[in-house]
This record gives sequence, structure tokens and C-alpha cells, in this order.
Amino acid sequence: MAKYITGALDKLKVTFDILKQNGGIRGSLYQLFRTDELKNGTVVGTDKYGNTYYENNRYFVVFLDYDGSQVPAEWYGWLHYKTDLPPTVKPSVKYKWMVDHTENKSGTSEAYMPFSTTKSKIQAWDPNARKE
Amino acid sequence: MASSRLLHLARNGLLPKSSLNMQFRTAYKIVTDELGSDPKTNQEVMDRAGDHILLTEIFRGFGVTLAHFFKEPATINYPFEKGPLSPRFRGEHALRRYPSGEERCIACKLCEAICPAQAITIEAEPRADGSRRTTRYDIDMTKCIYCGFCQEACPVDAIVEGPNFEFSTETHEELLYNKEKLLNNGDKWEAEIAASLQADHLYR
Repeated sequence: MAKYITGALDKLKVTFDILKQNGGIRGSLYQLFRTDELKNGTVVGTDKYGNTYYENNRYFVVFLDYDGSQVPAEWYGWLHYKTDLPPTVKPSVKYKWMVDHTENKSGTSEAYMPFSTTKSKIQAWDPNARKE
Repeated sequence: MASSRLLHLARNGLLPKSSLNMQFRTAYKIVTDELGSDPKTNQEVMDRAGDHILLTEIFRGFGVTLAHFFKEPATINYPFEKGPLSPRFRGEHALRRYPSGEERCIACKLCEAICPAQAITIEAEPRADGSRRTTRYDIDMTKCIYCGFCQEACPVDAIVEGPNFEFSTETHEELLYNKEKLLNNGDKWEAEIAASLQADHLYR
């Protein structure tokens, strides 16, 4: 019997922990609406774009915005379970030519459009060109 | 149940074999209760009637549903959680640079030659300083079959298939990558590409 009571109390404590971590009733409802899930975890770190990375028995991220392609390269391997060492523990390589992460811009005005990186090999006749 | 009665007759040899279209096996034992069989005793009849009237089976079904509601889900909550990936994962292509910032690709065109989908187009010219570089490095990502031959053919580890798989687009032309885009991918993903190569270097 005591087993069931302590078990139920444990569940209750976890519930209150989750509510507390997600910012009370209001915050929890907001988080549930955003992420379809409520859980608690220890903060492993944040990246410079404002995403926060958590760990309970799984690794997860709470995005500042909401897009799967917003995870920067430094955290990518950790979030995908390639390594258990987050960049806060084992910093990744840094060169000055590396650029900031951008999310997948498809469907926006900033989307990538292909262009030729070399000049054309043929010169087409332009019928409207003036004769010299 | 007509069929079970027929079976019973056949098993006891009371029915001529020719009267049936199929042959019955006789050398087996039934180890489970015969489901759906008619109740034999009054007790069984009353038990079954009680089960039907009180809908016990329905409520046991609800119980199973409720138990699964409290179980930890087997699925992951993408995009907040992600599935495991291998360091060898072959995703979006990228052109890498040396730590100095110089691009690695020397326009040897081995990747173009080995590409089974012929998705790579390269044009090259000597640069002002005399080094041979590409002026065009296009990959049609809609032709690419992500076999990874290009990164295996590359003698200088310039073209790699990075870890990124979240590059789906709304139009076809956005997937016709040129050199600019591929170099930009390399600059964006170098941290993770280097980590993957480091993790796998003992096996290559």
C-alpha cells in the first residue's frame, strides 16, 4: 500500500515540477499549445539564436521560433544523438570564415534562387540591338 | 454450429470420406478453449449472459485505451526532439574550405565523372594566381540520389554530403544548387561536418 502512495506522490511532484518549470499554469498552457507536449528537463545550454536545449531521458530543444531547420551546426550533432558531449562541454571548431546559421528560407523572399556563376559560352543574337 | 458438428462426425468416422470435398486431419489436439463454442453448462450460460449484459468486455477495452494514454509515447515530438543520426549520414551537399579559408575544390572533376545520376556540372579555369579552380559547380539536387560517391571520389575532401536533411523547398529551381550555395552550406555546417569526419576517421 505504501508503495502506491509514494508512487502517486512522486507523480504529483513531477506534475508540479513540470508546471513550475514551464512558468505556472498560464505558461504551461502556452507551452502545451506551442509544443504539443509538457515536460521538464535540465537546461544543457542555449545557442546564440535563443534556442534552449534540455535533457531529461531524451535530448530536446525549445525553439525561440518554430522551425526544425533552426538548429545550428554546433548543437546539431548533440540533438541528433551523434555525441553525448554538447558544445558547452566540447566546443566545436571555429574559423573566421564560418557564417551564421540560417533556417530553411524556402517560400520566403529570401529563398535561394540559382544563378550562373560563370559567363555564358554563347552570344545570342539580340534582334533589338542597334547596328553600328 | 453445423460445421463443427460435421467435423465431429468426420473425426469419428461416421461420415463417408467421399461425402466431403476436403480431407480432415485427425491427428491433432486442441490446446485452447474453443472460442465461440456454445456454452455447455447452466453456469457457463449465466456467466456469458452476465458478461453481455454488464458490457464487461467493452469496459476492459476502455481500460486498455486508458492505460496507453498514460504510457510514454513511442514517437518523438519533432521538431523539438530529433531522431538519432549517424556520422556517415548523407544529407545536403556542401563544399568545404581549408582552415585558411581557401576553397578545397581543385576542379579535378572526379565527382562529376563518378556521379551515377550525372547531377554534377563543373567548369574550370585557372585563376589569376595560377591555381586551378571551378568557375561553375552545379548540383541538381533533384537528380542526386544521395549515394555519396562524390564525397568518396573527392581527393581533397571538398565535396561532402553534410548532416542536414531539412532543406526541402517549395519550388524545383531552389534545389538547383550552384557553387555559391554549396560553399555557403560548407561555411554554415563546417562545425558539424568536421565533427562527423572526426567521429568516423578511424574507419575511412
